[in-house]
Amino acid sequence: MKDLIRNKFKHFFRVTFGHALLTVMIPLLFSTFGHAESVPPNDLSHAEIMRLGERMYREGILPSGKVMETFIRGDVAVDSSAFSCSSCHLRAGLGSFEGGVVTPPTTGNKLYKPYRRPPSFGDVADRAGRFIYAKTAVERPPYTRETLATALRFGTDPTGQVFNDVMPRYPLTDRDMSILISYLEALSSEPSPGASSKQFKFATIITDDVSQEDRQALLLPLQTFIAQKNQQMGMFNDFIKFGYSPTIDMQFAFRSATLDIWELKGPPESWPGQLAAYYNANPVFAVLGGISNSDWRPIHEFCEAQRLPCLFPITDFPVVSETDWYTYYFNKGYTQEGEAVARYLNRLETISTETPVLQIIQDSQVGKALAAGFRKVWKECEQQEVTTLTLSSQQLLDQAALDKLLTKHKPEVLILWTDAELLPNLPALVAKLPANGIVFVSSGYLGKKTATIPENVRDRVYITYPYRLTPYVGSKVGGFDAKVPILASSKDFGNRRITSRSIAMLQQTTLQGLNLIYDNLYRDHLLDIMSMQMDVTVRDYERFSFGPGQRYVSKGCYIIQLGPGLDPPLLQRSNWVMY
Amino acid sequence: MRIPFHLKSALVAILLCVCILPARPAQAADIKYKRSVERYNVPDVVLINQDGKKVRLQSLLNSDVPVIVDFIYGTCTTICPVLSAGYVNLQRKLDADSKKVRLISITIDPENDSPKVMKEYLKRFRAKPGWDFLTGSRADIDTVMRAFNAYIPDKMSHYPLNLIRMPKGGSWVRLFGLMSTKEFMNEYLLATAK
Repeated sequence: MKDLIRNKFKHFFRVTFGHALLTVMIPLLFSTFGHAESVPPNDLSHAEIMRLGERMYREGILPSGKVMETFIRGDVAVDSSAFSCSSCHLRAGLGSFEGGVVTPPTTGNKLYKPYRRPPSFGDVADRAGRFIYAKTAVERPPYTRETLATALRFGTDPTGQVFNDVMPRYPLTDRDMSILISYLEALSSEPSPGASSKQFKFATIITDDVSQEDRQALLLPLQTFIAQKNQQMGMFNDFIKFGYSPTIDMQFAFRSATLDIWELKGPPESWPGQLAAYYNANPVFAVLGGISNSDWRPIHEFCEAQRLPCLFPITDFPVVSETDWYTYYFNKGYTQEGEAVARYLNRLETISTETPVLQIIQDSQVGKALAAGFRKVWKECEQQEVTTLTLSSQQLLDQAALDKLLTKHKPEVLILWTDAELLPNLPALVAKLPANGIVFVSSGYLGKKTATIPENVRDRVYITYPYRLTPYVGSKVGGFDAKVPILASSKDFGNRRITSRSIAMLQQTTLQGLNLIYDNLYRDHLLDIMSMQMDVTVRDYERFSFGPGQRYVSKGCYIIQLGPGLDPPLLQRSNWVMY
Repeated sequence: MRIPFHLKSALVAILLCVCILPARPAQAADIKYKRSVERYNVPDVVLINQDGKKVRLQSLLNSDVPVIVDFIYGTCTTICPVLSAGYVNLQRKLDADSKKVRLISITIDPENDSPKVMKEYLKRFRAKPGWDFLTGSRADIDTVMRAFNAYIPDKMSHYPLNLIRMPKGGSWVRLFGLMSTKEFMNEYLLATAK
């Protein structure tokens, strides 16, 4: 049957009668296939249909395990393992707008209702030459399972209108088509918990290792944000009381909001239970920010399992994953600093594969995270493994032992993933290096004391710095940093920027998602919208950039050196992003 | 596959109807791409390819076979996969002659598109040798986009564009829009014509 369909499909596009003929032919040709797609397969459980359908939708893999074959623009063959339905229609199925192309929704809720598409790339003026919204918007009546199968196979809607060229045509068998359609019917069919037409429920997460000062630094912007949302809602209600008639769409711009504080106490192993108790008592739509000094992993995994968006927690220990979906991070934390050193060294023309590199790791969570980032990228660069020693904080203070190690390994490049306790001994260590020897340290790990790196070795010491260096000229909308140029200085070392980063998270990215969610109250849709936003310039980082599946929005980390003095200038030694 | 007689009859009838009835207002599939011939000054920048190797753009583009350039990014949802499918199909069509064209994709998301991301992208599309994906500093990428009159301030506002450098004379054919494999192949053949 599959071959029959494929042959007909190929034949279809060889025919040169044009699209008008193609449009009229479809019902006739299609009538020979039967209507097996009009009912879901009865030999599979609902769960299995959903699993197989999701794999087709997200990965482009057929129930048989083979890839879905498609055609674009009639003769451009491509398989769906390169790009699948969810590449354009996105995970929630509500579609996207990118590159001028409107990708319409593809959920049952939307497909089985009439739809009017906004103008898109590829639209043309009508016969009178007018190119206006009303004439270019394409309307269609509701689909049925049968007309949907026709649309997927041949790219025509129930009225015969031909789809934009970017939509592939799928020569699926009746059975595979039925599975895919059943999945689309279920996709985003029920609104996510924690949101209604009138209200969003949010939570934030604070662990018990966070100081009172840091806690307040986080809660201040969050509670202000919630108060603003509620104030806007109150204003909207007042308008209505005074006789103002909002348009239908305007109601979706105003929702009240609540914020629960989920306090996590005790060992991290107990956090999942505590999170579940909070969540079950009052499910929220998303977690806004949060803060912990410990590994974020237990919270990350809880959110992943609950399919609960967690938006930009303040953590130096994010989970670094290329496939996990539900947590947005500012960056990869310490891992990103380690990666930056590997990238910088890889491009340094003064070193070769023969150059001895020694990496000393303080036996701590921070040291290990920095080293993990370095190792990952160093390997990607196809460099040989470097000599690595893990030492306790006591061993790091034993100058004689360190001298012996340096004498033994003779490094030209010394990477010190240690805290600031080592800094007074740094001149002695540098003295043991050859004349061209250099040292790398992490400003995140050294904290405020980074500025106290002894002046006589500053020209030999390179420092990771994952924050903005170029002047930030303040936000356009006003506020604490309005239009005031802010320059990075050594006083920024050790500043966790909890409030300013949380404000950027709320006002410059999350709000965008919440404003555009309209009445599609699905968590996956919130993440989809946020992933499709334009790049953002923020106070603390050079740039936030987005894209489907991208979950670490600040991609850069500078390598800097210190100038002279007690408040030394920060000397840029690398680009923000290095390859 | 033979078409049954009743279908053939129906086809003839429909064809007649189509000839008589006024055509439906133009839809997306009717659109042709826009074509123009341009001259560009390729900037002297060094970019990084999918293997992490530095490449001088001028040297890469200065070839005695047609060079095709497009601007894409690794996590693009809509246009880039279609442009890339065009590249793949051109390579397939040329088959053993695939070295007779040099395909270049330049990222418009240099923050995210590392050599690793670009290599995986090419692998996903089953690219053959002869298709390079380039990244670099944002400043260099911006310079390249401007040089080809293809500058966009943000990757989300990009558009489908192919540029074919003709080996004879070094002028460029600018192709705005999405093309079928046949159209793309025709443009390639035109570029190779003496």
